[in-house]
Amino acid sequence: MIDQRLYEEFRDIGRDIFVTGMTSSHGGNMSVRVGDKIIIKRRGAQLGRLKPTDFVETSFEEKDSGIIRASTELIVHRAIYEKTSALAVVHAHPRTAIVLSLSRDEIIPIDNEGSYLLRKIPVVTVELASGSKEMATKVSEALQGYKVIMQRGHGCFAIGQTLEEAYAWVSALEEVSDIILEHKLLGEEMIEYRKHSESYAKW
Amino acid sequence: MRGWAGNILDINLTDGAIDVLPLDHEMARLFLGGRGLGARLLWDLVGPEVEPLSPENVLIFTTGPITASASQTSNRFNVSTKSPLTDTILHANSGGWWGMQFKRTGYDALIVRGRAEKPTLIEITAEGVSLQDATHLWGKTVFETTEALGQDRNKRNVLCIGPAGENLVRIAAIMNDKERSLARGGAGAVMGSKNLKAIVVEGTQKNQPADKEQFKFMLYETGKLLKASPLTSQALPEFGTAVVMNVVNEIGALPTRNFQQSQFEGADQISGETITDTILETNQACWACPITCTRITKTSSGKEGEGPEFESAWAFGAQCGIDDLDAITEANYLCNDLGLDTISMGNTIGCAMELAEKRLLHSDLRFGRADLLPGLISDTAYRQGLGNDLAEGSFRMAAKYGAPELSMTVKKLEMPAYDPRGMQGQGLVYATGNRGACHETGNMLGPEVLALPRLIDRFATQGKAGIVSVHQNSAAVIDSLVYCKFANMAVAEEFFARTLTAVTGETFTADDLMMVGERVWTLERLYNLREGFTKADDTLPDRLLNEPVAEGPSKGFTAQIPPMLEEYYAFRGWDKNGVPREKKLKELSLQFAIEVAE
Repeated sequence: MIDQRLYEEFRDIGRDIFVTGMTSSHGGNMSVRVGDKIIIKRRGAQLGRLKPTDFVETSFEEKDSGIIRASTELIVHRAIYEKTSALAVVHAHPRTAIVLSLSRDEIIPIDNEGSYLLRKIPVVTVELASGSKEMATKVSEALQGYKVIMQRGHGCFAIGQTLEEAYAWVSALEEVSDIILEHKLLGEEMIEYRKHSESYAKW
Repeated sequence: MRGWAGNILDINLTDGAIDVLPLDHEMARLFLGGRGLGARLLWDLVGPEVEPLSPENVLIFTTGPITASASQTSNRFNVSTKSPLTDTILHANSGGWWGMQFKRTGYDALIVRGRAEKPTLIEITAEGVSLQDATHLWGKTVFETTEALGQDRNKRNVLCIGPAGENLVRIAAIMNDKERSLARGGAGAVMGSKNLKAIVVEGTQKNQPADKEQFKFMLYETGKLLKASPLTSQALPEFGTAVVMNVVNEIGALPTRNFQQSQFEGADQISGETITDTILETNQACWACPITCTRITKTSSGKEGEGPEFESAWAFGAQCGIDDLDAITEANYLCNDLGLDTISMGNTIGCAMELAEKRLLHSDLRFGRADLLPGLISDTAYRQGLGNDLAEGSFRMAAKYGAPELSMTVKKLEMPAYDPRGMQGQGLVYATGNRGACHETGNMLGPEVLALPRLIDRFATQGKAGIVSVHQNSAAVIDSLVYCKFANMAVAEEFFARTLTAVTGETFTADDLMMVGERVWTLERLYNLREGFTKADDTLPDRLLNEPVAEGPSKGFTAQIPPMLEEYYAFRGWDKNGVPREKKLKELSLQFAIEVAE
């Protein structure tokens, strides 16, 4: 069901997410859309050590037995594919971004590269940690206008045409968050260098 | 106006009636403008009983909500009709100035119906709309006509056909601003069939954004992206679109000698680099465009004009086994002046060359015969000698000589400059194209070759259908706004959505736009199904399916259409025969077309 090329992409990006500290050993998940099916990491598989048998193929819309083994977040992935033009979804737990999400309703990059790439990352609040309808609805709706969004206190969801693209947004988000945190820790006044920077809040 | 002018100009050439219809706002939100609005109007106006070159066919010229707003590349416009080359729905779009100027006359669209008794031109100015005798222009070339009607870059703009359109050549283009073209699918012949020589526009109205501050911010942000992209800020301005000639050749995806090979030994001589080093005089831009990819060139014999673009350089170059850049460039000029689609012209000549080499066509035509190009092109426009066969396009010509399999077409539209055996996704784009083999309706050059937005494996097939579908939807919405595809190589849909929001004052998200794209694509599919097209038409020439590439980086590959097609239909929510399901139509607000669905 999953060909070698696609497996290698899952494996390599899963390993990168783990080794860069953006998830714990068994956290995070990823999926791609193929035709009217979703290929998603199976529940409990280690993102940094994915094997060809660690994937579940399930229907895009209808329930089937594949959901027994699929990631807990399958409901969120399905909603994202239904409501956006995403072809790949990456969910991770980038630590600094999670820290910022605890006190902010949006993360607005202050570095040049981050402003250029992301402009703004909205933060949505969901009571349950994972797998709820509320989470599926809020996350998928937020991703209609953004490539990556934060769920407060939990983690991020990013979308792309490929896993690599979605992972790039996750990686950029964490870099942006690190810079914000370190600048805040430094405690110095920021010298604005961007035109229209006030407009990023409205992005 | 704020995005939409709210008016459709409706002209019947048979009786001279001129009406103004209101633009339905709900229709505008669902289809935006350009290609989408054209498809929606065509659905109601031209059914399967209508012959493309009969008075019952219509020409629908459309602009989009961002046209003339001064957003980067907001100069483009579209024409929709039923194609006399493919019998499919046809859309073609063009840049320059005419689209912007037409929008400034206060119309979103122009419907042209019927057939005039004698050659006619339409003039649209602030003083009103008039139909005028154009007998004195009939027979004149595009350059002569454009000059005679007083083309004035930013004030008065001319759209017309040349002799090819007048002579109902199935690969005739409609030309605007002298050397820009609505090229593909033979819309020029439809205009000729109506005895309509030209449309001249002079506008005074402005498309002013509803939210000026947000619009300024979007101009700034979009400008940053265009400057940051090496493609739009360096490669296209310096080398033009032919900058990709060597790149596509190096990977073994440049169709050569009627797709018999996938690498051309003379690629460098016809590349963007060589054009810049030898014949380029200056580069130029369409209205409100910072990219400046237009080539103003001068050949060694002293002839001057626009071009060649990548596709034209390929069509008269690698496709015909010709590496003489002067000859290719002058062939391009001649097509512009006579009003011909350069891709179809070059592709068809390449097919004739193979027919002749295989002794199926009795002619001294051979690959590499650059000296024969001017005569062949001229004979095509005037339907003389072999030109009368070439004027029918590659498929009809090859069929006449008993070898339709040598026609490199899909749905009778000649293929552009990418070999599907070296770019599997591009093959699927061609096979499923609603107007036939077309790279502009979902070009996979970005992801499969240029790493835009990310590099994907060009030989892979699993998962490719989704990426193709997204690119097709994206192209459809860009053609509906109407933006330039080159801008989209640096600027994502979310920017277009925010600019559209600023211009119209109505909120659009990136996914709203992508849904418009899917809606437009699906409606075009339904149109073709209503015309009698089936799954069997979603394929490629036998050569590409069954003859592996013999040498080079794509050696051993054929185009793997069947597995990708199955995945493609599933991704789109169509049944196994490629018919959109009723549920999908409801999702896309296409219930009016439900008669065609499963």
